[in-house]
Amino acid sequence: MARLDIRNLAKRYGDFYAVRDVSLQIADGEFLVLLGPSGCGKTTTLRMVAGFIEPSAGHVALGGSDVTRLPPWKRNAGMVFQSYALFPHMTVAQNVAFGLEMRKLPKVDIDKRVEEALALVRLGGYGARLPRQLSGGQQQRVALARALAIRPDVLLLDEPLSNLDAKLRQEVRVEIRELQRQLGLTTVMVTHDQEEALTMADRLVVMNEGSVCQVGSQRDLYERPATRFVAGFVGRSTFLAGTVEAPGRFQTDGGLNLACSGGAPGRAVLSLRPERVEIAATPLSGLDNRLSGAVEFVSYLGSLTDIHVRLSPADRLVVQVANREGGLAPDVGQTVHVGWPASAGQVFNE
Amino acid sequence: MTLVIDQRPRSNGLTATALLAPATIFVAICLLAPLAILFRYSLNDFVAAKKMMVEAVTVANYIRFFTDPYYTAILWTTVRISITVTAVCLVLGFPLAYVVARTQSRFKHLLIILIVLPLFVGNAVRAAGWMTVFGSKGFLNATLMGLGLIDKPLEIMFTEKAVVIGIIAVNLPFMVLSLQSVIEGIDRAVEEAAFSLGAPPLTMFRRVLWPLALPGILSGTILTFILAMNAYATPFLLGGPLFKMMAPLVYNQFTQQTNWPFGGAIAFILMAVTLTLTVAANLIFQRRSAR
Repeated sequence: MARLDIRNLAKRYGDFYAVRDVSLQIADGEFLVLLGPSGCGKTTTLRMVAGFIEPSAGHVALGGSDVTRLPPWKRNAGMVFQSYALFPHMTVAQNVAFGLEMRKLPKVDIDKRVEEALALVRLGGYGARLPRQLSGGQQQRVALARALAIRPDVLLLDEPLSNLDAKLRQEVRVEIRELQRQLGLTTVMVTHDQEEALTMADRLVVMNEGSVCQVGSQRDLYERPATRFVAGFVGRSTFLAGTVEAPGRFQTDGGLNLACSGGAPGRAVLSLRPERVEIAATPLSGLDNRLSGAVEFVSYLGSLTDIHVRLSPADRLVVQVANREGGLAPDVGQTVHVGWPASAGQVFNE
Repeated sequence: MTLVIDQRPRSNGLTATALLAPATIFVAICLLAPLAILFRYSLNDFVAAKKMMVEAVTVANYIRFFTDPYYTAILWTTVRISITVTAVCLVLGFPLAYVVARTQSRFKHLLIILIVLPLFVGNAVRAAGWMTVFGSKGFLNATLMGLGLIDKPLEIMFTEKAVVIGIIAVNLPFMVLSLQSVIEGIDRAVEEAAFSLGAPPLTMFRRVLWPLALPGILSGTILTFILAMNAYATPFLLGGPLFKMMAPLVYNQFTQQTNWPFGGAIAFILMAVTLTLTVAANLIFQRRSAR
């Protein structure tokens, strides 16, 4: 395992930048997740690390040595593909042995390491099967075993869980994470699933339109999103459009005057997390912002309920409450009171 | 309700029969019947003096073919040319098929049409076109001589070379299309997986792409080989009067010599050799790849 350094990496297709100036340092044994919507450049970045795409600019270094100009077969990067990409004409054992044969290991060592790798993903005894005789989850584990068998310097995961059903996905997440910790694997995973990203990563990188928006822990991204995009992409936010009149004073386009913290005078949006807003049937006290409005929409989510409240013709707020006995359960059309401290909102200037 | 369920299997069987019948009847009348008749003819006698077929049951025609070096040489030439053509088509066709299968370009359909386009022109018309290019005063020789690269015209026309080039040109599209459809079904990520596991391109090709493309390689080579074995217009027009392959020989026996028994025998020898070589090659191919 080794450290991975990505410096000023860019990929340009004509006038279009798929990736622009991405720099990341991934420590030895760290699990980094690249998160973003489709087309944000996360997969292109990963493929440049693997060597499948030649960068237009920048460098990739593995364990301190520059691999930017090396072809993929000289990089020692283990990759798990979204489609698993198992060799359909080879048995499970032959699949896992492939990378070891390329390294010209003696037959005895290959057999031993294939067995180890399969045991690691709990597929001991499946060596003689063909990939098509396995379930999706098992195929995924073979792909992982194949990538691990070569003892890669870095493990690259390209949406490895997106073809599994929801229940299995949760189990495999934990499994991969435990394996990664146990083996101390330097890992880069690409996903568009924020829940997956939040549960697996040591550190997250949010990307959009080819650039890195923010790098940080789960808490950093959720509590202190750097941009409006991050606030919307990681977790949920209600955005109220308006103007910062003076430091601490925000006026929405619907005419509401709100207390806020930060922000420079001018056009801006105020971002609010749905669970940071308090809601009650009677007027609230002791909060910087106290408003009332009619309930427009209620969606019951089991442990939580989303309540959409109309504050002004232009402003609608989503409030999330935990469902417990005697809690607020308003009907559509009912008037409710909402409130939040100035510090709960975050202002992004436009 | 019960009645409907009871009838379903029977009506399905009827539908299947109805769907199969036209093609079956067509094959029976237009292919099997003539073959049967021709085979019967091939066992007949032929009186050369009167140019007449005489009813008989004899293998004399087959014996005559295999005992006369003139005819066995023609069979050997045909097999040799067909194998050469098939090998060249595979070597030239694979890279082309790969590029067409893997391209993301929006001109992909145009590319496929360009490959198929030669098939729109009949073999005879195309062969006539080749004659104007390869003739001693043709385009190629005129150009090379005009440029002073050669001082005597190259002898291409009416040689085996011209025939091989001509059949390759006819057969290449079939090879490319067979390969392309199979390569398209191979996940690109499988190639990348091989690369990331340490396989350089040639190793990846040998260990992954080739075995996975084998069904297309087999169908492409079979098609190309059969077409080459039975080529008629190309060897006839590009090979000239002295160059002989099997299909023109059969035609010659039927029309010039009106020797139907011997023509029939040659036709069946051609068919049997083609079939045997195809099956044998397949078995060797598949056994080797199974290892």
